[in-house]
Amino acid sequence: MTTYTICVFTENTIGILNKITTVLTRRRINIESLTVSETERKGISRFTIVIHHESREAVEKLVRQIRKVVEVLAVFGYLNDDIAYNEIALFKISTPIGAKPIDIETINKVYKAWVVYWHLTYVIIQKTGTEEEIFEFFDYIKPHEILEFVRSGRVAVSKSPQTLVDYLPEAEWEYYQ
Amino acid sequence: MEFNENQTAAIAAPKPAVSVEKPELINGSHALIRSLIAEGIETIFGYPGGAIMPVYDAIYDYQTEIEHILVRHEQGAAHAAEGYARVSGKTGVCLVTSGPGATNLVTGIADAIIDSTPMVCIVGQVASHLLGTDAFQETDVIGITVPITKWNYQVTRADEIPEIIAKAFYIAGSGRPGPVLIDITKNAQQELMSKAFSYKKCETLISYRPRIAPKQDQVEAAAKLINEAKRPFVFFGHGVQIAGAEKELLQFIEKTDVPAASTLLGLSCVSVDHPNYVGWLGMHGNYGTNVLTNQCDVVIAIGMRFDDRVTGDVSRYAKQAKIIHIEIDPAEIDKIIKADAPVVGDAKRALEMLLPLVKENNHEAWRAEFKKYDVIEDEKITQPELAPTTEKIKMAEVIRQLSDKTKGEAVVLADVGQHQMMTARYYQFKKPGSFITSGGLGTMGYALPAAFGAKVGAPDREVVAFIGDGCFQMTIQELGTIAQKGLPVKIIILNNNFLGMVRQWQQLFHQKRYSFVELQNPDFITIAKGFGIDGHTCASRDNLNESLDKLLASDKPYLLEVLVEKEENVFPMVPTGACVADIRLA
Repeated sequence: MTTYTICVFTENTIGILNKITTVLTRRRINIESLTVSETERKGISRFTIVIHHESREAVEKLVRQIRKVVEVLAVFGYLNDDIAYNEIALFKISTPIGAKPIDIETINKVYKAWVVYWHLTYVIIQKTGTEEEIFEFFDYIKPHEILEFVRSGRVAVSKSPQTLVDYLPEAEWEYYQ
Repeated sequence: MEFNENQTAAIAAPKPAVSVEKPELINGSHALIRSLIAEGIETIFGYPGGAIMPVYDAIYDYQTEIEHILVRHEQGAAHAAEGYARVSGKTGVCLVTSGPGATNLVTGIADAIIDSTPMVCIVGQVASHLLGTDAFQETDVIGITVPITKWNYQVTRADEIPEIIAKAFYIAGSGRPGPVLIDITKNAQQELMSKAFSYKKCETLISYRPRIAPKQDQVEAAAKLINEAKRPFVFFGHGVQIAGAEKELLQFIEKTDVPAASTLLGLSCVSVDHPNYVGWLGMHGNYGTNVLTNQCDVVIAIGMRFDDRVTGDVSRYAKQAKIIHIEIDPAEIDKIIKADAPVVGDAKRALEMLLPLVKENNHEAWRAEFKKYDVIEDEKITQPELAPTTEKIKMAEVIRQLSDKTKGEAVVLADVGQHQMMTARYYQFKKPGSFITSGGLGTMGYALPAAFGAKVGAPDREVVAFIGDGCFQMTIQELGTIAQKGLPVKIIILNNNFLGMVRQWQQLFHQKRYSFVELQNPDFITIAKGFGIDGHTCASRDNLNESLDKLLASDKPYLLEVLVEKEENVFPMVPTGACVADIRLA
């Protein structure tokens, strides 16, 4: 199985999420993660969809099927090497009185993670990185008792110097200032 | 007084120095009908109900401009719109209420998407403030139809209507056509627009740009393959008819002298008596076309999508051939069969660009090979079907006689099943745009409503629908629509008291275990008469000629029931999963 990241640029309309996910679900392709937000261009959303698939050909077909959705402006399929990508994870770690203290220096310097909230009996640590890096930290912090763990979907940008404007140069985009 | 944003704006706006005439403000329902008229729509197929009542109230004022045909079930509206669109090339329109009205359209919408039929479905919806409350007759029709529409949209304000309707027609009718659904809340139908009505047809969208003209280098690559080919073979499909490319297709096959075969929905694009026409492809297609698919050196696929009923086992399909795929939908390229030379664009434009690049050629010897197979097929299948020695009438002889009497020029509809395949095989299509059937979805019950839709779309042509006894009972109520409008549709029921195709499969692949396929049928003629439609039953070969004459002589709708052989099979046949070259003759 290979991991593919599919970036979809769409008009920001009600129901577009359903229209895109339907293309995947009817082909029995599971979505490993999905992140959506507005781009630097007003009214244009960017979907970052991560899937695992054994066939590059099938993923290429999928990309073309997603492109058929009327509100979709552009779709790109990437392998991990083609993109810079990250996820964000939050760990709520138990810190009861008398327990082994957490090693903040290691967390900061080795794992590049940060405590974002302190409580008397727990802390919340934020870790950004790839899935592997997040789970490496997961293994490290596990002995301290993880009360809650949440991981976002992947966000990714292409390493190519081209931008969406290069693919859709005719558009008169309105940018955020 | 009701307080709303518009009134706030009006209060806040400075008073004009001089009084100006106020623009006429119309409500959303009138805006909808005026938009349809501006779009050139003359006919709507529909069924009223609570959530679409304001629109129906508006239609009452526009009866001289727009005709509304009241169907008996919303599924009938969808199929009628499809039949209308398929024969006229225009976009079909249906109008229904929310909830069950909308869900009853679903089969027709699914049918239209897979057969690339342009259709705009306008659906009433509960008022905006009730959305998501499980209000009476509320259904998430937008959610339901996402996978089966080319585009759908929910309108919640009257002001949106002209622009959205323009967008709907542009999307439905351009590129690869398909169904569009517009859901309009009741408040949007009722409220006044905030400004004077104006309508501008949509001609471009930022996110939707169908490629009509193919790229020159793609066409050149295709031409090179065609010019070098020794045994080229054209497969033409529905895309040729949609593009109106019949003339260009003829010019192409005549100049290159390439044999040409049709998919089910491509039938009638080329006359059956054209010397380059070699027959029909696929599961129940012709012997030679299927076998020689695996012997040609270049396939020139035009406006077809390599449906599984055409290809059989893809791992053993035309492996020896280079594939040229001319197709407007880029997602179809390489979807089933890898193309060596893809040409993305409209079939008409592609052929226009190809014509000057292809050389005149002579493939007489290659074409003659098809004839050898035709002789075998004719002897083993066609002649026994057309000149049977059995007592009971065969479907093929009914279809062929009707074909002869109409000189192959009628608009012919077939429902789904054995009679459909028999119609495709035995009607001798001479004129483009003459065959309408549910190809992709295989929708039983399609033909009766599609037939009256087709008659509305082509009032000057003879319209004949071949329908099986099972199919007929799925939309039998549309006899009421036909009778009320007095549409002179000719209906031929080929009655074998069976769900014939299922029975055939049970016979061939399930050891003759005829599981729930035998029908106890009603007296169809009495039912037709109950609706005010004349008809009679033909039970003997001796009366067939006279029966067909009577059917065609009528200037009113007419139902002819023909009692046909009970256990007849359609051959040739490529069983599911088999290779096209392994086509069975018995």
